[in-house]
Amino acid sequence: MLTDALSIAIAELEEEQVAGLVKERLDSGISPLEIVNSLQQGMAEAGSRFETGEYFLGELIMCGEIMQDSMVILEPLLIGSNAEYKGSIVMGTVKGDIHDLGKNIVVMLLKGSGYNVIDLGVDVSKEKFIEAIKESNAPLVGMSVLLTGCQESMKETIEAIRAAGLNTKVLIGGNYIDDIVKDYVGADYSAQAATDGIKVADEIFSV
Amino acid sequence: MNEKEMLYQKRLERYMTAMDCGKPDMVPVAFGVGEWITKYTGTTLQEIYYDLDKSNNVVSEMLPGLDFDIFKGGPALWWPPMFDAMGSKLYKFPGMGVDENSTFQFNEQEYMKADDYDEFIASPTEWLVNHYLPNISTELENPGSYRSTVALIKGAAAFAMQGGIMAAAWGKWTMENGIVGQGTGFTKAPFDTLGDALRGMKGVLLDLRRRPEKVLAACDAITPHNVNCGLAGAGADTRFPCFAPLHRGAYPFLNPKQWDTFYWPSLKATIEGMWAKGKRMLFYAEGDWTPYLEKIAELPDKSIIFQIDTTDAKKAKKILGGRFCLQGGVPTTLLTYGTPEKVKEHIKRTFDELACDGGFILDTGGVVMGDAKKENAIAMIEAARKYGIY
Repeated sequence: MLTDALSIAIAELEEEQVAGLVKERLDSGISPLEIVNSLQQGMAEAGSRFETGEYFLGELIMCGEIMQDSMVILEPLLIGSNAEYKGSIVMGTVKGDIHDLGKNIVVMLLKGSGYNVIDLGVDVSKEKFIEAIKESNAPLVGMSVLLTGCQESMKETIEAIRAAGLNTKVLIGGNYIDDIVKDYVGADYSAQAATDGIKVADEIFSV
Repeated sequence: MNEKEMLYQKRLERYMTAMDCGKPDMVPVAFGVGEWITKYTGTTLQEIYYDLDKSNNVVSEMLPGLDFDIFKGGPALWWPPMFDAMGSKLYKFPGMGVDENSTFQFNEQEYMKADDYDEFIASPTEWLVNHYLPNISTELENPGSYRSTVALIKGAAAFAMQGGIMAAAWGKWTMENGIVGQGTGFTKAPFDTLGDALRGMKGVLLDLRRRPEKVLAACDAITPHNVNCGLAGAGADTRFPCFAPLHRGAYPFLNPKQWDTFYWPSLKATIEGMWAKGKRMLFYAEGDWTPYLEKIAELPDKSIIFQIDTTDAKKAKKILGGRFCLQGGVPTTLLTYGTPEKVKEHIKRTFDELACDGGFILDTGGVVMGDAKKENAIAMIEAARKYGIY
C-alpha cells in the first residue's frame, strides 16, 4: 500500500500533480534521489496493477511518459549523488525489425525499477549486441521481435553471443513469442507480458 | 462452362455459403503465397517487391496443382516505386532502409501533432492534402511547387500502373486456376486510422488522457470516410468482403472502458454503414480479441467475417458462431516451427472444434511471413481437403 503522495500520484497517472510535487519537493530541499525513489515505487505499483489486469498498456505508457518527463528535470541533478543501479541490462530490437513499442515499454519499466538500461534501439546487428554486452559486462540482454520473419535473426544473434564466449542470460519478448520460439532461438527466458521483464531481471540480479 | 469455370463456381459457392454461416460440401480453404516463397525461388525479397512481373510469375508457377478455394494474393503487399516517387517516409522496404531480405515495415511517427486536431476534424481530407502529404513525403514538402506536382503525378501514375498489372494477374490466376479472390475494397477502424497513421501509438494513447474529446471527434470525422473507402474501393461489388486490418482494439492496448468509449463506437458505425449498403467486412482481428467478443456479437448478423489470430478460438466459436462466419484456425507459427504431420493433426482437431456446423473458413491466423516452410503450407491445404468434407 502506497503512502507517499508522489508515489500515489504517479501510480494514479496524475500528470500535473506529479509535476507539481516534484517541483515542490526539489524547492524544499529534498534530495533528487529520494524523489526518484518515490516515483519508482509508484511505477512499481502501476506495474503490478498491469499484472492484475487493472491497468492496460495505455496506462503503462502514460505512467512511463510521466516518469520520463520527471527524469528530464531530475537526471541532471542526480550526477554526483550516490545513485546506485541494481545492475546493467542491454536491450534492443533484433536485426531486420524496426518495431519498438514493446521494447520501449519494457525499457521504461526496467529503468523505473532502478536498472541501468543500455538501449540499442531497433534493427540491431549481432555485432552491436556483442559489443554492448562486452562493454557493459551486463549479465542480462533483452531482445525484442514482432515480425515472425525476424525470429531467425534473433537465433543468429544468440548464437553469435554464445560463439563469442559470453554467458549473458538472454530474455526474448514479442507478440508471437512462446516457448517453442524460445527453444528454437536458444534463449534463456521468454516474456509474454510487459512486466515479465522485471521479474526475470529481479531473479537474475538478486543472486 | 469449361473445367476451370466450373471449379470456380464450385469454390465460389463454398465461400458464399460459409460467409452466410451455412455448411458447404466441404470447409473452404483460404491460401496466400507469402514471402516464404522467396526461399525456394532464388530471388531476394527486394526483387519480389520491386519487380511485379517477377513476383507475379512466382505466383503463377506456384498455383497450378494446389487445391484451395479462396486466394489471398502474392508475396508483395505494396509496390514500393509508388512510395519512392513521392519520397515517402512511411515505409522501409526490402533493400531500402532494411536488409534486402527483410520485410517491409511501417515507420510509425507522430505525423499529425496534437495541435492539428481541430483543423483535421474540421475537414479531414483537406488537412491530409495540405499537411499530411507534405509531412510524410520529402518530395511533397512544398505543395504546388514544380517538384511536388511532378512527384504527385508520378506517384498517381505508379498507383494506376500497379492496379492495372495486378488486375491482369488476378484475372489470369482466376481463369487458369479457378480460384476465388478473398475480398474487394479496404478500410480500417477509425481509431486505427488515427492511431496507426496520424498520431502514432504512443500519441493516441496519451491523447486518451490528455484530450479525450478530440480523439472522439476525430474518430467521428473519420467514420464516413472509412465507410466510403470500403465501398468505393470495391467499385460496386458487394459479394466479397472488404479487408480491414484491425490493430489497437487488440488486448491489452486499451482498458475496457477506453475500448467501449474510443475504439468500438466508430468501428461499429463503419461496419453498420457498409452493411446498410450490403457490404461485409473481413474483420481481420490481429492479435487477441477475446475480452471483446461479447461486444462484437452486437453487430448485425453476418455483417463481418471474424478472423481468429490469437483470440481464444473456442470462445469465438461459442460467442460469435452461427451468427458470423469465422476464419482462421492455423497459428502462423505452426507453419514455421511445425512439421507437415503436426500441421495435419492440428487441422483435424481444428475442424472438430470450429468447423462442425459450418460458417467456417480455414486460414492461417495472421499474416504468414518469410519464416514459414513451404511443406507446411502445402500440408495445410492437403489436410484441409482430407478432413474437411462435411
